[in-house]
Amino acid sequence: MVQMMIRHLATRPGTMRAIAAASVLGAIFGVSGVARAEDAPTGDPANGKRLYLADGCFECHGRAGQGGTFNYATPALAQIALPVDSFIAFLREAPNDMPSFSSTVLSDKDAADIHAFLQSLPGPRPAKDIPLLNQ
Amino acid sequence: MSKRSNAGQDKTGHDGTPDAGRRNFLKGATIASAAALSAPVAANTAVSGFPEQRPKAAVKAALPGPKLAAADAMPPPADPVNQTSSGGDFMVDVLKTLDIDYLAMNCASSFRGLHEALINHGGNSKPEIITCPHEEIAVHVGQGYAKMEGKPMAMICHGVVGLQHASMAMYNAWCDRVPVIVMGGNIMEANKRAPGAEWPHSAIDPAALTRDFVKWDDQPVSLQHFAESAVRAYKIATTPPMAPVMLSLDAELQENPIENRDGLRIPKLTKAIPPQGDDAALAELAGMLVAAENPVIICDRMARTQAGMPRLVELAETLQCAVIDNFGRMNFPSRHPLNQSFRRSILSQADVILAMEVNELWGTLSDFHDRIARSSQPRYKKTAKIVTLGTRGLYMKANYQDLGRYQEVDLDIAGDAEASLPVLIEQVKRRIDESRKSAIEARGKKLAAAKLATIEQAKSDATIGWDATPITTARLCAELYNQIKDEDWSLVGTSIRLSWPHRLWNFDKPHQWNGVAGGGGVGYTLPASLGAALANKRHGRLTVAIGGDGDFMFVPSTLWTAAHHRIPLLYIVHNNRAYHQEYMYLQAMAARHGRGITDADIGTTIKDPFVDYATIAKGFGVYGEGPINDPNDLGPALKRAVAVVKSGQPALLDVVMDQR
Repeated sequence: MVQMMIRHLATRPGTMRAIAAASVLGAIFGVSGVARAEDAPTGDPANGKRLYLADGCFECHGRAGQGGTFNYATPALAQIALPVDSFIAFLREAPNDMPSFSSTVLSDKDAADIHAFLQSLPGPRPAKDIPLLNQ
Repeated sequence: MSKRSNAGQDKTGHDGTPDAGRRNFLKGATIASAAALSAPVAANTAVSGFPEQRPKAAVKAALPGPKLAAADAMPPPADPVNQTSSGGDFMVDVLKTLDIDYLAMNCASSFRGLHEALINHGGNSKPEIITCPHEEIAVHVGQGYAKMEGKPMAMICHGVVGLQHASMAMYNAWCDRVPVIVMGGNIMEANKRAPGAEWPHSAIDPAALTRDFVKWDDQPVSLQHFAESAVRAYKIATTPPMAPVMLSLDAELQENPIENRDGLRIPKLTKAIPPQGDDAALAELAGMLVAAENPVIICDRMARTQAGMPRLVELAETLQCAVIDNFGRMNFPSRHPLNQSFRRSILSQADVILAMEVNELWGTLSDFHDRIARSSQPRYKKTAKIVTLGTRGLYMKANYQDLGRYQEVDLDIAGDAEASLPVLIEQVKRRIDESRKSAIEARGKKLAAAKLATIEQAKSDATIGWDATPITTARLCAELYNQIKDEDWSLVGTSIRLSWPHRLWNFDKPHQWNGVAGGGGVGYTLPASLGAALANKRHGRLTVAIGGDGDFMFVPSTLWTAAHHRIPLLYIVHNNRAYHQEYMYLQAMAARHGRGITDADIGTTIKDPFVDYATIAKGFGVYGEGPINDPNDLGPALKRAVAVVKSGQPALLDVVMDQR
């Protein structure tokens, strides 16, 4: 999933500019521009779940963060590995057909809460443990 | 031209003699009426709404009462009241020569003549009437049937208004390049139209409404003209590129006596041999494919008959090259090691791309971005050679834009891909020498390994949200496959860009898939699935379909046809309680404007109230179960529904789903 997100990021010059800007700011403030997830402020997953459903994220990515289908496959987000800062930067200037969500409609705090919710979702489990997937 | 124009003047039978049958008819009617008056009250007809079947012998046994006897003594009317033949009878004879199994319709006065003839002259067999509650359903039934059975059905609709109902489905069939023999009633002569509905239901040129999306149309003015046009219509519709055709049938032509049956002749149908690609061009293509390091085949509506898939497999295996299926037909086995349909990134490495019967090649070869400023990039490298093989471009229309953007190619071979494959395969085999064999074999091994990884990835992806409520699409598809995998199954519809069956299931038979709507017109999946199920019924296949709830809402009465004709079909309503594609589009619009991102459900969702699809099914006489919310309830419910379908009846399951 991270590779997919980064691939999306890489295809969008504006997004890359945003990440580059974040990196510069990070350098100024002595943190990595693309923060590791464990360094990010902890979001509120309960509020994140509420927002994920209310703001329509589930429409493309599924209530369980399993991904889905729009005019093409939409990525799974459960157990998101993208750091929160990069996630917020991605939302602000999203590539391809992904809608961009400005701070007017989605604050950084709310975006961080959504990120926390996505991190809390169970990711894939071994398919061999599910007989229906092995026939 | 018409007998109605001579009403009041022509008092002769079809053979020119006074119509002796008329007096006998009056006598028969009188006796029958008397019998009805004197007979005991029929059992419970008021409750059932239908009369009991009358024993035909009873008509002769009864005696007329005094009033009726007096009526019989009245002078005969000046115009004929009885006839011993009708143009409709001849039309039925013509349809029988075309080996048309079914005719779908919603009854209407403008084709009452043909309708009666189908039953009483044709014996309601070849074609058998399939009663549909809506003309859009009737055409879609024909579309689904033709793709599964490999031959067209007929349908007939009411003048003007029925055709207007039918038109969207005709457009879907046109975009899908599927033959349907569409007929419509009309009253051509203005002085014959009754006051009232016959005027707004008549037209000078009824087919004008649909001319942009039929391959050919006609309005015969004589029975001989009808015979020739019906045979011509069949031939044109079934010659690649296939498409619907339209015949407008004058009511007088259907209803009035045949003036000279011996003078009418039904022409022989000789089907056109599908056009094959030029031999030299196919040889050039073969050379390109053999020399290529990474050839990729893209197919869409390639497999036209049961021979299509094995031929494509033979070509791909000979070349050990990647195949990308756009799923317009059952082209290529889903688990074949060379099936790379879910690894489209390989297009960027292709040096030769062969597109066979691809509907929209530019869209397949481009990444398109639906942003404020729309943009696109090709998915292939500049040096790649692109070759098309197909009939898509052999018959085009101007107005409706089901064309796709113009795609530059290096070699464009006009010809039916399936028909051209044997020559292409032979040419490829002839060109593969020892120096290429090892490279080709190595390529195949790499692709096979990648395919295995793709399958494993699909399984892993399917586990996310496995136990979630609402149920995930992956879970539904896995549960359904578990119930049908040991049957001779046929998945005949998904209207929701549903990729999970092709990611998880083993499609390896030509009848296991038949594509999608074509024009994207909503309301396709349920009736077209029923049409495919009608075709599958005679082959004893287990037919299943997964359709969206929004799609279902356009044509729910299709279920009545399923029940009435006892067509076995397991229909699963993928009930995500939304017009989900539009829901996502609206969300993107709101986000683009930075406003109201919590309100995209307005006008896009199906809630308050939720729809109880199982109850709807029961109302139409179909087994229904649901709403099913718990994924653990799915398996048992599917098992029960499959048992119903295997008993010869339709069944519906309402499954409350997450998006898709």
